[in-house]
Amino acid sequence: MRRVYFDHSATTPVDRRVVEAMLPYLTERFGNPSSVHFYGQEARGAVDRARREVANLVGARPNEVVFLSGGTEANNLAIRGLCEQHAEQGRHVITSSIEHSSVRGICDALGRRDWEVTRLPVYDDGLVRVEDVRAALRPDTVLVTLMLANNEVGTVQPVAEVGALVRERRAGGQKLWLHTDAVQAAGGMRVDVDELGCDLLSLSAHKLYAPKGVGALYVRRGVRLAPQNIGGHQERERRGGTESVPLIVAFGEAARLTRMELEARVEHVARLRERFEAGVEARVADVVHNGDRTRRLPGVSNISFRFIEGEGLLINLDMQGVAVSTGSACSSGSLEPSPVIRALGRDDELARGSIRFSLGKDTTEAEVDYVLEVLPRAVETLRRLSPLYQKAQAERAGAPA
Amino acid sequence: MAYSQTFKDHLARPRNAGTLPDADAEAEPVNPVCGDRLRLALRLGGGRIEAVRFLAYGCPPTLACGSALAELLEGMTLEEAARVTRARVAEAAGGLPARRQHAAALAVEALREVLRLIQTRGEI
Repeated sequence: MRRVYFDHSATTPVDRRVVEAMLPYLTERFGNPSSVHFYGQEARGAVDRARREVANLVGARPNEVVFLSGGTEANNLAIRGLCEQHAEQGRHVITSSIEHSSVRGICDALGRRDWEVTRLPVYDDGLVRVEDVRAALRPDTVLVTLMLANNEVGTVQPVAEVGALVRERRAGGQKLWLHTDAVQAAGGMRVDVDELGCDLLSLSAHKLYAPKGVGALYVRRGVRLAPQNIGGHQERERRGGTESVPLIVAFGEAARLTRMELEARVEHVARLRERFEAGVEARVADVVHNGDRTRRLPGVSNISFRFIEGEGLLINLDMQGVAVSTGSACSSGSLEPSPVIRALGRDDELARGSIRFSLGKDTTEAEVDYVLEVLPRAVETLRRLSPLYQKAQAERAGAPA
Repeated sequence: MAYSQTFKDHLARPRNAGTLPDADAEAEPVNPVCGDRLRLALRLGGGRIEAVRFLAYGCPPTLACGSALAELLEGMTLEEAARVTRARVAEAAGGLPARRQHAAALAVEALREVLRLIQTRGEI
């Protein structure tokens, strides 16, 4: 069966060049970077080179990059580390209502530990307003954590504007920092920590055609964090534990390739997404696009299909070899429509019927066309089953022309 | 979440999907918690269920259970239909994940409601 992977926001296939780069560190170059001898120094050199590449990807200095296990750990170290370190300065955090579940979970946990969390709304375009951030700021606010690009709809948040606001408050003497989760953004847009004005920025390698299990947190020089993984001196005391050298090397190579190829990748996926969305609109009625269609990542398309539920469509597509994702879930009879799509102001039916299609650097036109061939049939199969669709059709037939 | 081949087949090729204009009885219960709904329509003939149609909106288990039930019921007597349990629907759907058993409950609720309507009208 033909297989098409349209779920690059979940994870990306590992680039062959990345595999080649890491292989020696799984075999003969096995040293521990903390060892003084040749083997150790060989590994240390590889980690240092990777650190430079990851720093270059986001316009940072190498010693501002902390390697760790991935995006979730980066978010934990950033948010919990910052809040615990600066609890004396204040216990108020501002975040958005469409953050990745890891940030949501961390903020919920802080809320149970005597921190106050303000969760800003997004509007029907999936974007946070800077004015809302300004209005939510208090003298005891220590952290604003706002994702750079959303993982479900791909909307790019006004982080640079919030960064300017944070700097303005800091100039006025307030102890206030800005974290941004750039896990989704890094592969789809230029990311520069100075342009964003952020103090902390989370990255994950497996969204950049590297393996799972490695990520990084950018920590601006001078920003102090309470380490969350203690007991080792690695990563300048900020993240104890022997470095995963092969994974870090892979991350470094993936970061280098992303930086070199970003423009071409963005142009490629944007063109294919346009072809895809135009094709969907031409072939499937009753669809609603979720999120602002200009301020979003180039490879992400989130569409709600009226009258049907996302998981059924996902399974139908999977049976025809097409991999996509849905943010909604149902368990034990309790409906959990995508909180992100709900936050956009969509009703339960639209939130349940949302599907994320995410294209990648190696997606082809032929793959887009194949999805456009099978998707209308899958939607039609489910709509023929749907009492909501039958009702709407009957109403339309009975309505005056 | 891993679904069985039988389950997926119900999704890809739903059995007896659609409406039944000359149905003897029809019901459409809704799960008040998640909004899933299942419409079941039966037509009787010669003491048996001559035709069955279903429509469903909701999570895949609800769709698969609707299809499995609609397939099971065809040709049954009303007494046999009254003995159909959640477990039997779930089995016919190819098995359900532990946390999705409510889908079979909705299917059986639709069946019970249709049978009750038929009995009320004295058409048994």
